[in-house]
Amino acid sequence: MTEEQPTYEAACARLEAIIRRLDSSEAGLRETLDLCKEGRSLVEFCAGELDAVGQGLEELKLDELVARLEAGARASSSVES
Amino acid sequence: MTYPRQAALPPTGIPGSELSGPHPVGQYAARLRDRLREFARVQIFGEVWNLRPSRAKVYFELRDAGGAMPCSMWRNDWEALGLPEGLIADGAQVVVAGGCDFYPGSSTSSPSFQFAVSDLRPAGEGDLLAQLARLRRLLDAEGLFAPQKALARPTLPRSIGVVTGEGGKARDDVLAGLERQGWAGRLVWAFAPVQDRHAAPRIGRALRDLAAYADVDVIVVARGGGSLADLFAFCDEALCRTVALLPVPVIASVGHHTDRTLLDDVAAVSCSTPTHAAQSAVRLDCVAARAGLRDNARHLERHGRAAVLSRARTLAQLSRAPSEHIARHRRRLHQQLRELRASARRRADEERTITSRRLLVIGRKAEVARLHRARAASGLSALSGDLGRKGAAAGAQRRRDLERLALALAAHEPERTLERGYALVEDSGGEPLGSATEVRAAGRVNLRLRDGRVMARVEEEK
Repeated sequence: MTEEQPTYEAACARLEAIIRRLDSSEAGLRETLDLCKEGRSLVEFCAGELDAVGQGLEELKLDELVARLEAGARASSSVES
Repeated sequence: MTYPRQAALPPTGIPGSELSGPHPVGQYAARLRDRLREFARVQIFGEVWNLRPSRAKVYFELRDAGGAMPCSMWRNDWEALGLPEGLIADGAQVVVAGGCDFYPGSSTSSPSFQFAVSDLRPAGEGDLLAQLARLRRLLDAEGLFAPQKALARPTLPRSIGVVTGEGGKARDDVLAGLERQGWAGRLVWAFAPVQDRHAAPRIGRALRDLAAYADVDVIVVARGGGSLADLFAFCDEALCRTVALLPVPVIASVGHHTDRTLLDDVAAVSCSTPTHAAQSAVRLDCVAARAGLRDNARHLERHGRAAVLSRARTLAQLSRAPSEHIARHRRRLHQQLRELRASARRRADEERTITSRRLLVIGRKAEVARLHRARAASGLSALSGDLGRKGAAAGAQRRRDLERLALALAAHEPERTLERGYALVEDSGGEPLGSATEVRAAGRVNLRLRDGRVMARVEEEK
């Protein structure tokens, strides 16, 4: 897996490629264990992504969000001054 | 049809008429053309009907409730307008500029009156469409339709921004679409007016704020159906430029599926309904994806276990292989040994059988030989007796014959003849002489007599 954070679709594509490779029965023991390890981490990543959009809808209003952010920015600038 | 050539002299007029003439019709038609062309050139408007493009001109009628006017426009002028295909059709409102004209005709062609159009502009909705077409060409030429489409659009966004009217039905449709995909992440609503003159700037600002502050992965701009004028806020040039340069992909769903605003062109994706826009924002069916992920995880675990177990089994088999190999060879050797013994027994039995059969044959043959020998011996003894008897008889017979022959021979002996008084004449060599000639030739002869020899000389009597 690469150092940078993969996207969900890239992770899924890699996971499917791993399973295809494993299903082909061409991988040796070391490769199989490595692929299983990589696959588990991909499954964890994908599950995390799905969990992030499965815990319940979080609805925000942009105006409130902007106001909050601006208030926070003002507060931090006043503290600095 | 042919017309009579103009007479050298004009015909006389209608008796009693106060009107001038008669004038030649061509002359009158040319005057009429000249007078009509003196009419002021004006702009008139109405609905287009019976639009008929021909090779050189485009013909149509302008109509309204009060009247109608046949119009024509040179084809080159028409095409120079650059109107979108289909914008001017029957029923379209247009303003035309031009003036009256009359084609006087000839002996072979009919006259016609036309309002000669030198310029034309769509009016009403057609005007909006023409503006839209011009702006679309402009943005397209600047390449502003491409940037949004080049942005990477996540299959599973964590955060979605939605720009829509606060009380509109589009909001519920977006929520329904997201629920259908099983998505329940972070949703940032940016409510803005969607159809007045304030709409475009407010929508543009909402889009910029969403991209700048809200950390959204994708933005949906949704509005329900309406007239073209209602939707025209989404054709605003500034708004479209804002969307084109936004770093976050925008999914547009404005109006009905038949409407096409400029926002649809610049956005990354254009959808027919807000529900579809939501589904396009979350392309992944999260429920199915969770099930698929569980399957994949189980698959991986199974492969991991199977890889070790199968190799462990292989190793165990390999470790047993040498002893199994020896055992297999031993079993084979034992088998071969048993087969060998059985074969030897079979062979011995066969030999024994053959030998006994031969012994029986030899015994029988010996018996037969013995019988033959006995039979031959008995025959031989019989023959021997018979032969003895026959030999004795034959000997006696032979003796008798011999005696008889001896007697016969003795009877023929010369000495017997000599004994009876005869003499035998021989030469000096002892050879008998049988004729007088031989005696004469010999000259001297021996005479054998019964009691001895006498030498004699032959003398011829004279």
